[in-house]
Amino acid sequence: MAILEVRDLKMYYKTLRGHVKAVDSVSFDIERGKALGIAGESGCGKTSMAVTVLRLLPSNGKIHGGSVKLDGIDIVKLDDEEFRKSVRWKKISMVFQGAMNALNPVHRVGDQIVEAILAHEDVPHQEAATRAEELLDMVGINPKRYKEYPHEFSGGMKQRVVIAMALACNPDVIIADEPTTALDVMVQSQVLKAMEDLRKRLDLSMMLITHDLSVIAQTCDNIAIMYAGKIVEYGNVIDVFDNPTHPYGMGLVKSFPNIKAERTRVRSLPGFPPNLLAPPKGCRFHPRCPLAGDICMEEEPELIEIGSNSHKVACHKVDMLERGVNIWEQ
Amino acid sequence: MGFSRYLLRRLGYAVIVLFVIMTFNFAIFRLMPGDATKMIIDPMFTPEAIAELKRQFGLDDPPLVQYFKYVGNLFKFDLGLSFSTRRPVVNELKERLPNTAVLFLASFTLTTIIGISVGVYTASKRGTFGDNFVTGAGLFAFAVPSFWIQLLLLMLFGYYIPILPIHGTMSAPPPDGFLLQFLDRIHHLILPAGSNVIVAFGSWALYTRNTMLEALGQDYIVTARAKGLPENTVLRHHALRSVLPPIVTLIFGALPGMVSGAVITETIFSWHGVGKYLMDAVMQQDYPAAQGAFYLIALAVVICNLAADIVYGIVDPRIRVGEGGAK
Ligand SMILES: Nc1ncnc2c1ncn2[C@@H]1O[C@H](COP(=O)(O)OP(=O)(O)O)[C@@H](O)[C@H]1O
Ligand code: SF4
Ligand SMILES: [Mg+2]
Repeated sequence: MAILEVRDLKMYYKTLRGHVKAVDSVSFDIERGKALGIAGESGCGKTSMAVTVLRLLPSNGKIHGGSVKLDGIDIVKLDDEEFRKSVRWKKISMVFQGAMNALNPVHRVGDQIVEAILAHEDVPHQEAATRAEELLDMVGINPKRYKEYPHEFSGGMKQRVVIAMALACNPDVIIADEPTTALDVMVQSQVLKAMEDLRKRLDLSMMLITHDLSVIAQTCDNIAIMYAGKIVEYGNVIDVFDNPTHPYGMGLVKSFPNIKAERTRVRSLPGFPPNLLAPPKGCRFHPRCPLAGDICMEEEPELIEIGSNSHKVACHKVDMLERGVNIWEQ
Repeated sequence: MGFSRYLLRRLGYAVIVLFVIMTFNFAIFRLMPGDATKMIIDPMFTPEAIAELKRQFGLDDPPLVQYFKYVGNLFKFDLGLSFSTRRPVVNELKERLPNTAVLFLASFTLTTIIGISVGVYTASKRGTFGDNFVTGAGLFAFAVPSFWIQLLLLMLFGYYIPILPIHGTMSAPPPDGFLLQFLDRIHHLILPAGSNVIVAFGSWALYTRNTMLEALGQDYIVTARAKGLPENTVLRHHALRSVLPPIVTLIFGALPGMVSGAVITETIFSWHGVGKYLMDAVMQQDYPAAQGAFYLIALAVVICNLAADIVYGIVDPRIRVGEGGAK
């Protein structure tokens, strides 16, 4: 059974000009010990989805329906206090996008890890401190640096501290939101490798958000491609990369000529991502889709399984696409 | 630059500033309009008596000699005799200092605690009625002249709701027993200290609120929340703790202003402290007394500034260079 089961999740931001539908009927699973990669253009709702799962919403963000089942329990229904105590960090921890400032500048790094442990476990301070040292060691930081402040660490080292902190309470799921985008290219691959090794060793389940498809290709088991607050294609990494079927997914994968090559330049698709305040009617991708027809402007396509292996696509023209038309080459 | 070198330099500045103040202090009372010696020398006196008096007060020397004597005496804590009471100014200041210290410490501690707490509260309740109300009240208190608020309070509690004593540090015949005397002093302290708090808490609250709001938008606050820490811990241990360095610096930086504000407060509420002493001395052209009080206040200001520098180094680990800091 999946450790995390998200069904029909909706989260909108209330603004003066209406609701921003940043997460709109999103469904996916993360299997135990597996990694799900989330890809999509900037602004499509990846971060919003992550913070919805952890219920770390800004004051104008609100969940408008759906369920998030963690080990079978719907955590959307838990009250705030219970969610804080029993889910946050203990079951689901997170490595943030703004890694550079994720640590508080006025507290020692070791204390920040200890604090996470003590918030959830009734252990003596000394024991938590020992564990913090072990965690630092595990992510490749000299445990002696326990007493140092964040400004004494380089960017990559800070992100390692954050990863150590994310592991502190043995969580079931780790969400990593663009964990390396703020780092130097060289450091990026080191940090990713450290993370991947740990994940394998500790048999962790992970949600890895990135707009870098090569990272997903190298580290994840499954991939979900998001467009304008929705998942448009979902499946096994091999299936999706070998056989991208949704027009948007196809465009995204094709813009990475060689998945194994790191950091190829992304050739962006023509057109702009839609305004989430008033997303296009029907299929949200239709203004940019070469295949768009009348039905696409009227009816929203559902995410349906194609072929086998739970490869899913949300497109009205899926039959045509499965036959293998290549729509992005003139 | 090491922390100790930084401190030494600050200390050097402080000494220079004190020296300048000392000189200025000497000159200003002599340049004031009116002849101060008239205070003590009755023209009906015989010339011998006048000469003797001038000699006693050191007024027969040329100004430069007077200046050097004055500096020398300062180092011996000899501030001369008061013209009006003929008592050593040092002794009079010693009697007044505890009163000023009590009023100042009470006002300062309460202002800081209340100001910062209100700032944290309003930041955490941003946009609510409570936030708007408190912020508005703080802005009002900040914007109007402090003596005006103090005079209003004086009128309110002295006339309309006479429940608080409006002058002095204690009742004229003090009540019997230590406890009653203590309570009597607290009772007298409420209005002057309370008015200082009302006048000053607003700026702390507003400043704390703004820096807190900025801190609350930082990534490390999201991390702290994600870790499942209780909201109270997030607010105090993470947001407040990280904005404490600038707040504390500002508070210590404002200490000098509070010291000089004390002169007004003491005058309004007839509080027998150094500030009121200075005011009375100036009114009576009693310049040994005025000089002494003025110098003491200047000293307090310089010490406060120095304290601000030291405290800043302590609260911000990024400044604590000596301890293997910034690389
Ligand atoms: N607090 C907010 N209020 C209103 N709109 C927001 C807020 N945060 C994000 N958004 C909007 O929600 C959409 C999704 O943002 P985000 O989840 O950050 O995307 P991604 O992480 O994929 O780049 C964007 O259009 C963004 O402008
Ligand atoms: S549903 Fe229509 S518009 Fe949307 S992706 Fe498929 S073909 Fe394109
Ligand atoms: Mg994002």
